Amino acid sequence: MSAERAAPGWWVVLQQELRDVWLGGRGPTLALAFSLILSAVAYLVATNTALNFLEQREAVGLIVQVSVAMGGLLVVIAAADTVSGERDRGTLEALLLAPVPRRQIAAGKLAAALSLWPAAFLVALPYVWFLGRGVGVVGDAVVVGLLVGTLLALELGALGLLLSLFAGSNRVSLALSVFVLLALFAPTQLSAGAQQGWAGDLMLRANPLTAGVHYVGRVLVDGHSFGRDADLLVAPAVAVIALCAVVLAVSGRLALRPGGAR
Amino acid sequence: MRRLPAIVAAVAVFLGGASSAGADVSVTVDRTGVATGLGKRFTVRSIFANPGPGEARGLVAHLNIASLRPGVYVDPEDWSTSRTRYLDPIPAGGSATVRWSLQAVNAGTFAVYVAVLPQDAAGRPPTVGRTVRVTVAERRTLDAGGILPLALGVPAAIGVAAGGLALRRRRLVSPG
Repeated sequence: MSAERAAPGWWVVLQQELRDVWLGGRGPTLALAFSLILSAVAYLVATNTALNFLEQREAVGLIVQVSVAMGGLLVVIAAADTVSGERDRGTLEALLLAPVPRRQIAAGKLAAALSLWPAAFLVALPYVWFLGRGVGVVGDAVVVGLLVGTLLALELGALGLLLSLFAGSNRVSLALSVFVLLALFAPTQLSAGAQQGWAGDLMLRANPLTAGVHYVGRVLVDGHSFGRDADLLVAPAVAVIALCAVVLAVSGRLALRPGGAR
Repeated sequence: MRRLPAIVAAVAVFLGGASSAGADVSVTVDRTGVATGLGKRFTVRSIFANPGPGEARGLVAHLNIASLRPGVYVDPEDWSTSRTRYLDPIPAGGSATVRWSLQAVNAGTFAVYVAVLPQDAAGRPPTVGRTVRVTVAERRTLDAGGILPLALGVPAAIGVAAGGLALRRRRLVSPG
């Protein structure tokens, strides 16, 4: 009489996708590229006399900011491939024929893409420890990096999946995702003067990426408490909720061709 | 018509009194010494007082930084992003305060000073406040020892793991 309870559809999709990402080689390759970038940044920060102007807290802040940003890039690349990649490879039809609700297919794929973030964070930990040892910021760096990185990974993963649902090809999906990511990061390159005043401050706080990256700086470089600049996390949190809600709403219309036409 | 030159002269005198030159305004600063660390932020307040009988208008306040020791390159723009302020008119007997935000981007001993000059300043010297002596201490920076093994070791470990996975995958898919 004891009927075996079937695993939920999203869990089955997640397991399959995790195998594809991690055993298929894409995840380890991206993790390797990520570690090479962190190695280059850490080596430059520690040895270059011009950059060695940086105080240790600033160096830790820099490596956490780079980790969070690059982790977001990994997630958005993986998420942008989820649906449009299946379309391009001609495997979406078989997936849609599986007895799994389409929202659960999207949820499983998003969760698998998000698995790149914790892996990236694990890779970043030795660098954070090396740069932060002796000044007592390693614990703060781990907590703030995990908090901000998870928020950014969630919003960028949802964004990548959303673009992948509607893109006509995988190339378009990837290009659009990276373009949006770069556009969101562009304000961090503005001069300090341009970031001052109410307009600059509003832009900094309204953009979830710049707000998150600045929060990391406030906690690690300026030594502020976690609660003092918590308002900077409002935009990332709102972006996560809004983008995940939109993905849930539109993923029910997942179809062989973008826009719902079969 | 005989009175016209006198009226013109009176108007000229009146206008001249109403827009005092920078030389009529005094500059004081709230401190004469700052001791700080490399990368730290600090502020200097300057007070522009107008002791004259007329309103002082069209004044430009400017902040500058110079190293007191040779061999230290100073780019004032790095120290403060807003070094020039256009002051609102200062009434007779009144004053205006400007807060200057700075960041110590070089270690050493420096002089920070504030000058005020009128917008129509051709040929006239600015009025300069007292020098603020800024002593910037070095900070502890990174110890580079051990970074190379870490910078090479982490990618190498991930590369070995990724290579092992790729080898295993190839064995699984190869015939026989």
